Amino acid sequence: MIKSETSKFGKPLYILYPGDYFATDGDCILGTITGSCLVICFYEFRKKIGGMGHFIVPGAIGTGGIVNDDIAGSGIASIEHLIGELVKLGGDRRFLRVKVFGAGYNSGNDSNMTIAHSNIRFIHEYFAIEKIRIDRSDLGGDFRRRIYFSLKDNTVYRQVLKNNEENSEFIRLEQEYIDIQFRNKRKTGRIILFE
Amino acid sequence: MNKYIMVIDDSPTIRISVEFALKDLGYKIQHAENGMDALEKVKALVNRKEDIALCICDINMPEMDGIDFIKKFREIDRFTPVIVLTTESDDERILEGKEAGASGWIIKPFQPADLIKVVKRFLR
Repeated sequence: MIKSETSKFGKPLYILYPGDYFATDGDCILGTITGSCLVICFYEFRKKIGGMGHFIVPGAIGTGGIVNDDIAGSGIASIEHLIGELVKLGGDRRFLRVKVFGAGYNSGNDSNMTIAHSNIRFIHEYFAIEKIRIDRSDLGGDFRRRIYFSLKDNTVYRQVLKNNEENSEFIRLEQEYIDIQFRNKRKTGRIILFE
Repeated sequence: MNKYIMVIDDSPTIRISVEFALKDLGYKIQHAENGMDALEKVKALVNRKEDIALCICDINMPEMDGIDFIKKFREIDRFTPVIVLTTESDDERILEGKEAGASGWIIKPFQPADLIKVVKRFLR
């Protein structure tokens, strides 16, 4: 993630790279670009804080639902990291609202489309279980998106990027992130025993 | 008398995932959505003379976090293992958890088989 103190918005701009998440109580803009990944923008309306996460569920989740799926577990942990940061700022998931973007696909690639549809299903299942209301859902489609999230007023600006060359460096980084996630799709974090 | 595992997390998805992972161990699962809720449920179980075999506890939760829960729980029960299951990876918080009386610390994500292995180790 990089921070720019001055931006065209007249307030600090944080650019999130693939795999990044960030929560803040500051008046700022969070931005990113996504192709296949999911971008979630949380707003905690009681504390007026928010955050953004950029991640992917690395594979097709099974028919048993996300609570019984080790690949979905990776996506759940990605969201939990972001919510954990919001809780540290005094937030409470019962007062969260979310806007979700991304899961774009290459319509000529069946495997790519399967993953995108699985990610879309994951998002809807996860937030249904969590009882977190999705205020805006802009998922799928054969294109990339540039996202700016203004925390002050809980507004998201979404721009469709149809030119594949546009921001190709960002998309290269996203592909690297996706490749790493797929190589480590079934993982457990550090285990420490106090004995 | 029933034997219980407490699963304390503000995420219903995590609580259900943990319950699903542990379903074959033969314990009843008691959910709690934060430290405060967990303490009330612990006290209710103790009053009913039920046996709490183990707690699995998140750290970053509203109302009462996991560290404070462990401290309060240790005033009631010095020996029952408490496994922390959390996204929190800060070394200072891990040390706080250990000093509060946690038995282990697992950083999410978790694979069910790894969780079961750790749980069984503490249930011996």
